[in-house]
Amino acid sequence: MEPKTNGSRERTIDINKIFAIIHKNFIVMTRDKVRIIPLMLFPIFMILVFGYTTGNIPKHIGTAVIAYDNSEISQAIQQEIANSQVFAVRYRVSTEGEARKLLDKGDIRVIIEIPPGLQNDIENGRQAGIVVIVDESDSAVASTAKQTMTAIVNKMSAAISQQKIGQFQASVSAASQILVSQAMRPEQYDVIEASTSSAQANLQTAKKLTDDQLKAVKAAAPAPLMFVVSSKTVMLNESNTYYDVPAGYYSTLAQIGLLQQQSALIGAAAKDVKKSVAVSTKSDNADKARNDYTVRKKAIAAPMKSIQVFTRYSKKGILQPLTYSEKPAYGTGKRPIDFVIPSIIALTIFQGALMGMGRAIAGEKREGSLTRVFLTPTSNATIIAGTLLFYMLFEMCRSSFLIIVSMFIFNIKIEGSLLAIGVVLFIYAGVSTGMGLIVSSIVRTEQQFMAVAMLFSMPSMFLSGALFPIQAMPQILQVVAKFLPVTYGGEALRGLMIKGFSISMVIFPIAILLVFLAIVLSIVFMVFTRNIE
Amino acid sequence: MPKTNNNQKAKYIIELKDLTKKFGKFTAVDKINLKVKEGEIFGFLGPNGAGKTTTISMLTTLIPPTSGVAKVDGHDIVSEGVHIRSIIGVVPQTFALFPELTAEENLSYIGKLYGLTSQEIKKRSEYLLKEVSLYDHRDRLAGVYSGGMKQRLSLAASLMPKPKILFMDEPTTGLDPQSRIKMRDITKQLNSQGMTIVYTTHDMDEAEKICDRITIMDRGRIAAQGTSEELKHMITEYHTVEVEIENPSEKVMDALRKLPFVEKVELHEEGELIIINVKKKDGVFYVLSDFFHKHKEKVLEIRFVEPTLEDVFIELTKKDLRD
Repeated sequence: MEPKTNGSRERTIDINKIFAIIHKNFIVMTRDKVRIIPLMLFPIFMILVFGYTTGNIPKHIGTAVIAYDNSEISQAIQQEIANSQVFAVRYRVSTEGEARKLLDKGDIRVIIEIPPGLQNDIENGRQAGIVVIVDESDSAVASTAKQTMTAIVNKMSAAISQQKIGQFQASVSAASQILVSQAMRPEQYDVIEASTSSAQANLQTAKKLTDDQLKAVKAAAPAPLMFVVSSKTVMLNESNTYYDVPAGYYSTLAQIGLLQQQSALIGAAAKDVKKSVAVSTKSDNADKARNDYTVRKKAIAAPMKSIQVFTRYSKKGILQPLTYSEKPAYGTGKRPIDFVIPSIIALTIFQGALMGMGRAIAGEKREGSLTRVFLTPTSNATIIAGTLLFYMLFEMCRSSFLIIVSMFIFNIKIEGSLLAIGVVLFIYAGVSTGMGLIVSSIVRTEQQFMAVAMLFSMPSMFLSGALFPIQAMPQILQVVAKFLPVTYGGEALRGLMIKGFSISMVIFPIAILLVFLAIVLSIVFMVFTRNIE
Repeated sequence: MPKTNNNQKAKYIIELKDLTKKFGKFTAVDKINLKVKEGEIFGFLGPNGAGKTTTISMLTTLIPPTSGVAKVDGHDIVSEGVHIRSIIGVVPQTFALFPELTAEENLSYIGKLYGLTSQEIKKRSEYLLKEVSLYDHRDRLAGVYSGGMKQRLSLAASLMPKPKILFMDEPTTGLDPQSRIKMRDITKQLNSQGMTIVYTTHDMDEAEKICDRITIMDRGRIAAQGTSEELKHMITEYHTVEVEIENPSEKVMDALRKLPFVEKVELHEEGELIIINVKKKDGVFYVLSDFFHKHKEKVLEIRFVEPTLEDVFIELTKKDLRD
């Protein structure tokens, strides 16, 4: 085998030389302050982004509430939304149209609709649906909003359901107590006929049970309402302790079924009581019996009335009085990828233009070819315009290619006008290129360029909303995001490409981009000098 | 245009008055005053860091002076940079062209920046590429050129606008001998066509060979100025004669000292060489050979030793050029 080095080699490790190398590198590193500052700051930024973003759920998502119903339940739901911290209810509007305008403007991300007659429906045992419209632009925000709202609806629904079952329970209990205390006097009324078929069936079943079997049934049932049947008389167990929070759907459903069955039995028993009273009026003690009848009739009337209300309810109405449903914010069938692509395009243009400038100016500075251009009678404005325009056009070509690829490979449907998209891309590419031009004008080497450019490109990458939800970030980073062109470029592109907005609907981000462009170009003309010191 | 370097009425095409450039606390060019005549090859000679390139950069409007005034072709370098840029050509120290472009594309681009028409560019670049012997390589990428070819292309690029004045900043540094000679030949040829050339170098020999007048710069200041003859004369009023002789005796040395035109006689350390300083040059050779013949000394060689620019430089700056 050929030796890898020629001649003899040093084989000792010289501590002094090691220190000399360390010292030299230290000097080299500390001398280039333009590089070292970003190198030091960058990881802090990363910690901020990753440390606070990952795992954090988005908070204070801009929300508009449309309350068509202003009942107590509606207010309770709104209170719950406000308490969640996830939603920041910025607007209360009266129509969906108004709310959608706010959504389009980007003032809010979520619309929550409380339907008309909510309380009425719930009180009458019908289901009432809460409708949620979520802007999918930011997938993390969207999914958090949906999850949170689903949880709120389920929680409210369970509470209402519990309350209803409780009321039902109380009515049943009250009715049964009255029956037990007032009507069930076996010595007086020997035979009570069950009047309804289901009550009769229950009676038949119950009558067949021995005392031991009854005990067993009572023990086996995990605290359901039980009815106990003695040899001749229907009695209702008034122990209501079963009412823990229902663990699952079926057990709750069973309870409701049982309650409704109970109601029927109570109803039948009540009728039987009346019947027995009617029978007893034929006996000698007519006056007493008539009196009994009036008292009992009055006593049983109120609980019976409320029981009858409950028996009319649908089981779902009791079990899940509130339901959650979603309406698409834009078009139908928009997927998270649809909203990611405009952000990626915005990000790509920014990074490409910024880095391209590093090559264009910082690189030409190093090679000296920029010096050659400065030696010719060519104005700064000409050099700037030529350089800017090339990269603007190049970035437009690149993003057009990206859009076409997205359409064919990722099945993106472009909703808005291509001309408007082109205008936005052009302005935005101008801002991005201009920023690159500024950075490359103030640095001396490409290495410095990379370091300084990173200060812009990294925040853009993380704060553009393409990769991480901005709402989940610390407030300071959310403020930083407001100063990045990528935020507005992405917003305008999302609106035009995916949400199907007209150019007038994205006039705000476009205006901001124009302001950026004006500022950036002014700075470019200030910092781009012929001075090649 | 005829050469005018010895014409007393020559027009000064470049004039510097107290021109100064400071970079922070460091003074790169310190109040220099000089005038360049139209049609001459004017040399800036000095070690690296003497301020040559900084001076050229100011004159070519690349960097603004800290103070002082300079006029190029009668135009102020600060306020009339636009005019100056249109009449000068510059061969910068670095390649300063686009390695990704071919020679022809480079010239075409530079030509457009000078505002030439496509026809002019075609004609001019073809002519120049032939002049600098790159015509056969015109379709190759400039980036793959050798050092000498790059420098010739750089020269061609700087000649695109037919400049009145050509600034050449160390155009031969780093080139092999053949390329150097070629570069110098082209420079002389351009000058003979009437172009004023400002040439910087740290090579004494080169300055002496091609420059009509030389300014020696050191630490941002002008150490001396003149033709190479004038500069050499500046450091000594005597001429030096070296005589190689077998076993020189004290008797002969004393006799030499008595000669009327002899100023100083020394014996070289190695003992077989006499160094004589003479007041005049004419006829000295014959007088000396006659003298040694009379004294029956066996002379191996008699030769005149001219001071080099290097001697001048070391004398003026007390500093070795290779520092």
